[in-house]
Amino acid sequence: MIELSHYLVLGALLFSIGVAGIFMNRKNAIVLLMSIELILLSVNINFIGFSHFLGDLAGQVFVFFVLTVAAAEAAIGLAILVVVFRNRSTINVGDLDSMKG
Amino acid sequence: MEYVQEVLWILAKIVALILPLFGVVAYLTYAERKVLGWMHHRKGPNRIGFGGLLQPLADAGKMLMKEVMIPAQADKALFVLAPIMAFAPALAAWAVIPFGDGLVVADINVGLLYLLAMTSLGVYGFILAGWSANSKYSMLGAMRTGAQVVSYEIAMGFALVGVLMASGTMNLSDIVRAQEGPFWHWYWLPLFPIFLVYWIAAVAETNRAPFDVAEGESEIVAGYQVEYSGISFGIFFLAEYANMILIGALASVMFFGGWYSPFHGIPVIGPIFDLIPGPIWFIAKIAFFLFLYIWIRATFPRYRYDQIMRLGWKVLIPVTVVWLVVESIFVLTGFGPWF
Amino acid sequence: MQLIIFYVFAAVLLFAGAMVVSSRNPVHAAMFLVLAFFNGAALWLLAEAEFLGVALVLVYVGAVMVLFLFVVMMLDINVSSMRQGFARYLPIGIAVAAVMVLEMILVLGSDQINVVAATAGGETAVGSNIRAIGSVLYTVYLYPFELAAMILLLAIIAAILLTHRRRGGTKHQDPTAQAKVRAEDRVRLVQMQAVQRRQPSNNEAGAKE
Repeated sequence: MIELSHYLVLGALLFSIGVAGIFMNRKNAIVLLMSIELILLSVNINFIGFSHFLGDLAGQVFVFFVLTVAAAEAAIGLAILVVVFRNRSTINVGDLDSMKG
Repeated sequence: MEYVQEVLWILAKIVALILPLFGVVAYLTYAERKVLGWMHHRKGPNRIGFGGLLQPLADAGKMLMKEVMIPAQADKALFVLAPIMAFAPALAAWAVIPFGDGLVVADINVGLLYLLAMTSLGVYGFILAGWSANSKYSMLGAMRTGAQVVSYEIAMGFALVGVLMASGTMNLSDIVRAQEGPFWHWYWLPLFPIFLVYWIAAVAETNRAPFDVAEGESEIVAGYQVEYSGISFGIFFLAEYANMILIGALASVMFFGGWYSPFHGIPVIGPIFDLIPGPIWFIAKIAFFLFLYIWIRATFPRYRYDQIMRLGWKVLIPVTVVWLVVESIFVLTGFGPWF
Repeated sequence: MQLIIFYVFAAVLLFAGAMVVSSRNPVHAAMFLVLAFFNGAALWLLAEAEFLGVALVLVYVGAVMVLFLFVVMMLDINVSSMRQGFARYLPIGIAVAAVMVLEMILVLGSDQINVVAATAGGETAVGSNIRAIGSVLYTVYLYPFELAAMILLLAIIAAILLTHRRRGGTKHQDPTAQAKVRAEDRVRLVQMQAVQRRQPSNNEAGAKE
């Protein structure tokens, strides 16, 4: 029998993998975006788990909205990456330092 | 024990579905060559077997014996994986197609969505094949295919929304049941513009002529599959034809009343035609759409790439959106026998 | 039995996630992300969220990841320079991940979560999942739904605006102009006298001689 804690632990593990990915691939902007997608997936798994085991549809509706917003985020993020690559011919996050930030 | 029995039963159903599908794919290639030949006033394959009937077997044998070559600079894992990724979704999608009343492997409530998801997966095979071969022609072909398939998916999705609005369900068996009646009860009539859009988008989705720029042999030799040989090329071939059959099945389920005979419900001739079992009507409808594919191939010259993109984005999508508005008026007024 | 299936999918999901963040080639990373989404969708199906499970495959695997692959393949990325610092940041990444896992397990291990889970009701299992979501989405959550549509529209416009550029010097056709062309614009009919027969006598006779 699957329990709520199964889903929650899985979500936690996946979330930490995503966070570790952000730490380890600090140069490659595309892999950074992918790590963010992983984190969002883990959050969604938690939502689905709660929604199923509490018998409340609100969690699934929220997942629906997270999916839409994440899709929009990915599209705009990739568009920005393409523009950055076109102007500076690199997507290395370390090289994007013209604002001296 | 019950689990084992259930799993075995499902496996049996899958085998009973897929094995005939392979045979149909093989003989679809034969039919295509014969019909094309007939339309060109020539004979087509007529040497092997009885009037060429064994030609597909000879072709299959040839492909199996040939060496599978992997380019030295290729990404080997993805290069081998790509044909499988092109072929698997085309088979997986068959799980939800109803052949008759209750004759379906998985009668799920999200059937339409599942189909859309599966047809959108095939593009991975093409993109990966083009990229992993590490060749310019492959890459160009993959880019063309990818952009084309993704663009036409939108038009196709909107067309499916039209069917969804009319029937009010995503279960494919229920969609067919909603069209019960003679052929003017089917959805092709009230949704005619959407049906046209669906069909054009479907031809483009499967990369068939006249939208076959992805493998246009006069421009980029064979596109994404140029580096493939032997059976790995053959699997791409299988995938293309399996997709064609799937699209034909989808068209008959959604717009042409699935397993119902065209005269179902008419007083005198209706019962006579109902004697023929539903699956046979269904297969006949698929065969008609497959013939349409070949007919289109023999008739139209190839589109240019920018024309394809323009047609998809600026013509098909607006047409569908406008007709969805019209259809919503139909639905609200309960127009005709359909809504 | 369900538990075994859950463990299989969860294991593959975690493996794929680990490969996403650690694989050398971004294309491989994208493919592992596809695998991760697939397994996530399967887990959602196990939780009877069939609409969202299939929608995840449709939206993410069918559209977003294709976009990722496109960008990865089109941009000529120097993979080796991207990997610099990977080994250096590996320990800190793992440390942060381990700390987070520990903390979350501490939270999950506490009693409140289990108390909540004990009240599990099977309400979502009744009827079709799509119908249930639809009946909530278009009534209670109507405004968020419209807002999501606006966000998507915004994303479309933003992505096109960002990446679209007109290059000078490209040859392109104007289809409307092509369709509007009439014979009068292209062909000029000129009234001329019919060609007269040349006199065969002088020149030819001279050439022969």
